[in-house]
Amino acid sequence: MQKLISAIVADIGKVLLGKEHQVKLALACLLSRGHLLIEDLPGMGKTTLAHALAQVLGLSYKRVQFTSDMLPADILGVSIFERDSGQFRFHEGPVFSQLLLADEINRSSPKTQSALLEAMEERQVSVDGETRQLPEPFFVIATQNPLHQSGTFSLPESQLDRFLMRISLGYPTREAERALFLGVDPRAQLQQLKPRIDVAALKKMQSLVGQVKASESLLDYLERLVLHTRQSPECAVGLSPRGALALLHAARAWALIHGRGHLLPEDLQAVLPSVAGHRLQGESGDGIQLVERLMRQVDIIAA
Amino acid sequence: MANQSELLPRESLLWIFAAQFAALLPQFALLPLWIVCAWAFAVYWRLEVFRGRRDLPGRAVKLLVVALTVGGLALSYGRWFALEPMVALLAVSFTLKNLELVSRRDAFLSLLLAYFVAATLFVYEQTIPYALYGTICVVVITAALAAQLGHFSARPRRALGLSLRLLAQAVPLMLLLFIVMPRLGPLWAVPQNKSGASTGVSDSMTPGDFTRLSKSDKPVLRIAFDGPVPAPEQRYWRGLVYSDFDGRRWSQGFGVDPREGGVVRWSGREQSLPEVGPRYRYRVIQESTNNPWLFAMARPISDTRGVGETSDDRIIKRGPVYSRFAYEVRSWPRETLTDVRELDDFQHRRNLQLPRGGNPRTRAWADEFRASGLDAEEISARVLKFFNRSFTYTLKPPALGVDSIDEFLFGSQQGFCEHFAGSYVFTMRAAGVPARVVAGYQGGEWVDQEEYLLVREYDAHAWAEIWIAGRGWQRVDPTAAVSPERIRDGLQNAAAEEFMADSLLPLHRIGILNRLRLEWDMVNYRWYQAVVSFDSDKQQNLLKKLLGEVSPLRLAAFIAVPVALALIGILLWLWFSGRGRRLPPASRLYQKFCRRMARAGIARRPGEAPRDFARRVRVEKPALAPMVELITAAFEKAAYGEDPAAQKQLRRLLRQWSPGANFMFLKTVGAGRIATGE
Repeated sequence: MQKLISAIVADIGKVLLGKEHQVKLALACLLSRGHLLIEDLPGMGKTTLAHALAQVLGLSYKRVQFTSDMLPADILGVSIFERDSGQFRFHEGPVFSQLLLADEINRSSPKTQSALLEAMEERQVSVDGETRQLPEPFFVIATQNPLHQSGTFSLPESQLDRFLMRISLGYPTREAERALFLGVDPRAQLQQLKPRIDVAALKKMQSLVGQVKASESLLDYLERLVLHTRQSPECAVGLSPRGALALLHAARAWALIHGRGHLLPEDLQAVLPSVAGHRLQGESGDGIQLVERLMRQVDIIAA
Repeated sequence: MANQSELLPRESLLWIFAAQFAALLPQFALLPLWIVCAWAFAVYWRLEVFRGRRDLPGRAVKLLVVALTVGGLALSYGRWFALEPMVALLAVSFTLKNLELVSRRDAFLSLLLAYFVAATLFVYEQTIPYALYGTICVVVITAALAAQLGHFSARPRRALGLSLRLLAQAVPLMLLLFIVMPRLGPLWAVPQNKSGASTGVSDSMTPGDFTRLSKSDKPVLRIAFDGPVPAPEQRYWRGLVYSDFDGRRWSQGFGVDPREGGVVRWSGREQSLPEVGPRYRYRVIQESTNNPWLFAMARPISDTRGVGETSDDRIIKRGPVYSRFAYEVRSWPRETLTDVRELDDFQHRRNLQLPRGGNPRTRAWADEFRASGLDAEEISARVLKFFNRSFTYTLKPPALGVDSIDEFLFGSQQGFCEHFAGSYVFTMRAAGVPARVVAGYQGGEWVDQEEYLLVREYDAHAWAEIWIAGRGWQRVDPTAAVSPERIRDGLQNAAAEEFMADSLLPLHRIGILNRLRLEWDMVNYRWYQAVVSFDSDKQQNLLKKLLGEVSPLRLAAFIAVPVALALIGILLWLWFSGRGRRLPPASRLYQKFCRRMARAGIARRPGEAPRDFARRVRVEKPALAPMVELITAAFEKAAYGEDPAAQKQLRRLLRQWSPGANFMFLKTVGAGRIATGE
């Protein structure tokens, strides 16, 4: 299991150079059945990461580029009258895939955004009064441009909350970039990636996440972290119970990726910025800064 | 008109009325009825104001109401400076305050007054039921105060709960104040009610008339002995001596009562004490009788303030016993005393006094004794023998005519103690032996393993005393000659058939009820002993027992120490409850490790995970690193892997290691022995 996971991480690492941490986070997010939001500038490898993940995990992959004039039907699918059979037939939209890359999600209108977000939460879509199950597993990796860029509709908090993690890739290191210059085109490499596991193995891995042990001491630490976000005057909005649960799940997946049967405080700390960053709101500054202060202030051992 | 926001809301008003009702309820029985109506009227008006149908009364109406109530009080009582009109005045002003109940300030005023009104209850009664009721009053009034804070706090459960909690917290303070607060005498004395009928023994007896023998089982005396206890046949509690007989009625005679110039020694110390020590020491608690007579066995001396001894061996109080009164008595039985003086002339004549005429048969019979030359004791024995031969003891004797003694002795021959004592004394006097009737109580019932003797009203008794030259006054009980069981077992047994024959239910026959009654009396007795009679003397005694010596310093310590202890207790409680749950053992061990590391100069930051800390130690203090890594690995396994073996290992590691003695340990244990976790 451990070997398999390192192999998956290494495979993606070949395409996305020097981003091991982010790759692991993305993997942890998928293992804990969460959706991932990648926020970064264009051209940083968001799409590459999503594509590589789908490739390595052997998932069916579709990509939707969101635009401001998109309608929900463009994602969910439409019923079209077919002359041959004289009936309406439902044409599935891109949402009917195992891994959906929703590129630049914040460029579309809120109506379209919410159609996707509903599908994410319920793992089913209702079209023409008929409820259709989405494939299993179902992941959404959404990317969004930083909010100050023009032509964006920011996602409301309630919809941000649907994403288990929000990560950003950032610029590559000098060595990574040099390797990128020297090496072959990552896109070509992407095509060569072979699936390491199938859907059954992925599901088994997901079930293993739930078995990672969380001790009393660790739950105490989690409790203190959550309580601090709710009580600290710095945080306008504290972490919801869903947020706290998301933190625990993601940390479990993180521990599994690192081959541990039990959680360590480091696991919580590793996923905390990605899980809590988009859920917390500070009086001033970004959620990420808040999370960093939170990690510094809350004692791991005792209150 | 007050500011709209200050107006009292509905639940405030209702609570105030409830508190007023609770405070006034016991007064309703004592006060004139129109005061109850005044209260109802004031409440009604105030409720109408609340509904907006009426305005608060104006100045003219208020003046009118005040004039009416003052007039009403004057009409009801006629005199001002007595207790009841004062209480009534307080109650009326308290009820009329409802007509001015506008703002929250008025509400507080009314409720604080309610405490005072509730306290006036204890002017009349201090028994346990009243004390309980007083407590309930205080709870309700405090709840009403708590309810003034707003809608949320006015809910009954919440207000009463808060009230109970507040009062429970005040209990220690109450006890402390009860013990140490100086008992000041009343600043002014309000005359108490004197019109109450006297019960039990009265200042005269008329055996011939309608029988007035009390069958009431109300307690009169409670007597607790300190040391030896007199035998049942010695338990004669003397209260009055009747020396004067007018042919029908026995009375004290002129000049016996101190108000008529009777000689009373008010302080036992002035009296020449008998050489032999007192046989009996006891404490009597007497219910109110509205008479000054106290009850004791013959030859009593009392050290209680305001109690004096008379020359006919009784004790009396300076003023009437209006409320329960306790006094200490020492008694010397007459046979132990040797200082018998001769009967002086006046006393001699007084105790031989007989009306000029009447009862010729008795006189003739007595003349026979006189003529036969028998001495006093022999005459007495003859008379008693006569009684014993042909008389019956009954509670319902026939009424007697003009020559009551003749009719009784030679006619009806039925009667109770008064008849026997009266006719005996008459006969003795006629035979020339100085004699007198003594009234009081006889016997008593033990309560709770002889803790105290309970004497009830039906234990009232009359007997005789005759003068025997050289031996002084001797008690003779003619009733004992007729019905010895009356003396031995008490009235209830001696005349069981007649006793309470007219009561609806023969409750006295149910043993358990009698026992319960005695138990209840015992509870009351203890209550009185411990609480009501806790006066300044008892206080001094208690403080002396507690402190050894009453000095300001010790008293201050006595108050300060419990207060300090209580405060420390609260502090500890706050500290422990604020500390939250105890950490798991592994975390505590790791904390210990962190403290040691901090002393060694490298402190873990709050948010620093153990492994990050170990990494930092490797960089900053490489010498400590191997051991720190071992400890970190053990801690992670113990705290997060929940591995008990790792916890033991962590404990062992910490016991043997400190940052200062690092190398020693590594040599002795060796790093290889310890698994590194991952």
